Amino acid sequence: MKAKKTLTRRGFVAAVASAIAAGLAAASLWPVWEFLSPPKTREGQEQETAVVPLSNVGPGKAHFFEFQGHPSVVLQPSPGKFIALSAVCTHLGCIVEWRPREEIFFCPCHAGRFSPEGKVLGGPPPRPLPSYPVKVRKDQLIIG
Amino acid sequence: MSCRGKVMDYLDVRFGFRDLLHHNFTEYLLPRTINAWYALGAVLLVLFAIQFISGILLLVYYIPDTEHAFESVQTIMNDVPFGWLIRYVHAIGANVIVLALLLHLLSVLFMSAYKDPREITWVFGFLIFLTSLGMSFTGYLLPWSQLSYWATVVGTNMPEAVPVIGEELVLFLRGGPSVGQQTLSRFFALHVMGFPFIFGLLLFVHLFLVRRIGVSIPPFGPTYRPEPPPKEFRHPEYPGGIPFFPNYVTKDLAMIYLFLTLLMAVVFFAPWIFLPAQAFEPADPFTTPAGIKPEWYFLAPYQILRIFPNKTAGILVQLAFLLFLFVLPFIDRSMERRPARRPVFVSVFIITLLIFIGLTVWGSVS
Repeated sequence: MKAKKTLTRRGFVAAVASAIAAGLAAASLWPVWEFLSPPKTREGQEQETAVVPLSNVGPGKAHFFEFQGHPSVVLQPSPGKFIALSAVCTHLGCIVEWRPREEIFFCPCHAGRFSPEGKVLGGPPPRPLPSYPVKVRKDQLIIG
Repeated sequence: MSCRGKVMDYLDVRFGFRDLLHHNFTEYLLPRTINAWYALGAVLLVLFAIQFISGILLLVYYIPDTEHAFESVQTIMNDVPFGWLIRYVHAIGANVIVLALLLHLLSVLFMSAYKDPREITWVFGFLIFLTSLGMSFTGYLLPWSQLSYWATVVGTNMPEAVPVIGEELVLFLRGGPSVGQQTLSRFFALHVMGFPFIFGLLLFVHLFLVRRIGVSIPPFGPTYRPEPPPKEFRHPEYPGGIPFFPNYVTKDLAMIYLFLTLLMAVVFFAPWIFLPAQAFEPADPFTTPAGIKPEWYFLAPYQILRIFPNKTAGILVQLAFLLFLFVLPFIDRSMERRPARRPVFVSVFIITLLIFIGLTVWGSVS
């Protein structure tokens, strides 16, 4: 027959001490976790839109800026048409560059090639570049 | 066998930790008459661990640049979640450490625990004390506030009184003719790398000696008898002593919690004691605020410099006092450790302590 397990005084004290220690450890680690959390995970700090002066994006030119913590790019492929994309290559995270003569985005790390709309034209990138909505308001571009 | 037992057995075969724990915890005996003052070493270990952890966390956001240092500290205080807590624990913890260090030093002095064969333990402990003051002094400048800036201006100006090389010393300490970016850079390097590295080495030797030579027997009670200095090394033995674990660890924990309570009480209810209004104004090298004073533990040396007619004499008196404390175990060679049988020593001890307290109070109110 299996002996019934009884709780000894020493076991009880050890269990209570362990529970208190675990509680204190959790109480100490919580501020540390919050302290180290990156800003974007904090409430109300997500960047909803970015503003770029219209004069920065001439026809056929690209302008790089930061949006939601990532390098991004806005392009005017033809007069009056604007495209905003993430500039982070979907292969391994390098930053793409704009090649106006070829009219492509080129990733210098592993030769990934994207169209002005962000579609994959060649190379290892598995997905197109994420795009953002662009609105023209007076002399500014509102992205996001 | 339970899963936990199997894991423990597996690790024990590869690390031999049960033997280590047995020899250093349950089988390691300490004198039965040991008192709460002996727990200050453990208190300091915990407080220093907190300083290292909170210091590393502050490094994540702090910028050691005169243009951005103050702003980065304000960001830590106001924008980073729990940044105020980490910063207060670090800044106020430094003060609690100095308090615990002073109490540790005074208790070792009063019980004459520095005597043969523990002279080297004392020497390394004293060096740890000086290194800790160095860490406090260099860390004080980093927030680049009016308080920290002007306290550093006054502090770094003190070596000017050293004959012949005084001016060169000040220049070297500051990295330039005045406190500026060069000073901040070298204080930052010393605070986060230089002093902690030296501190680690000193602490290792200190703890090694405490364990190797053993703690001194408290010189109190009817059973205590002074022991002649040993002629050869012997492992510490305390017949009829109490085990380090759990008996002594419980005493250690009680003292650790007492100091943590003190630290947290100041952090939550009275941080202004150590961080007055001037600590929240950015450093302005063109405007000296009224009544600028160093930290409380530097008030006595500060007041000595003010009351001595000659600055060089003031510095030399303090250096002589530090040197005297440093070599005390090599001067004081008598076997007797009982305070009741050392009236001259105890009188000098109490008078010196009262002078220190008096100078500190005088320095704070004058």
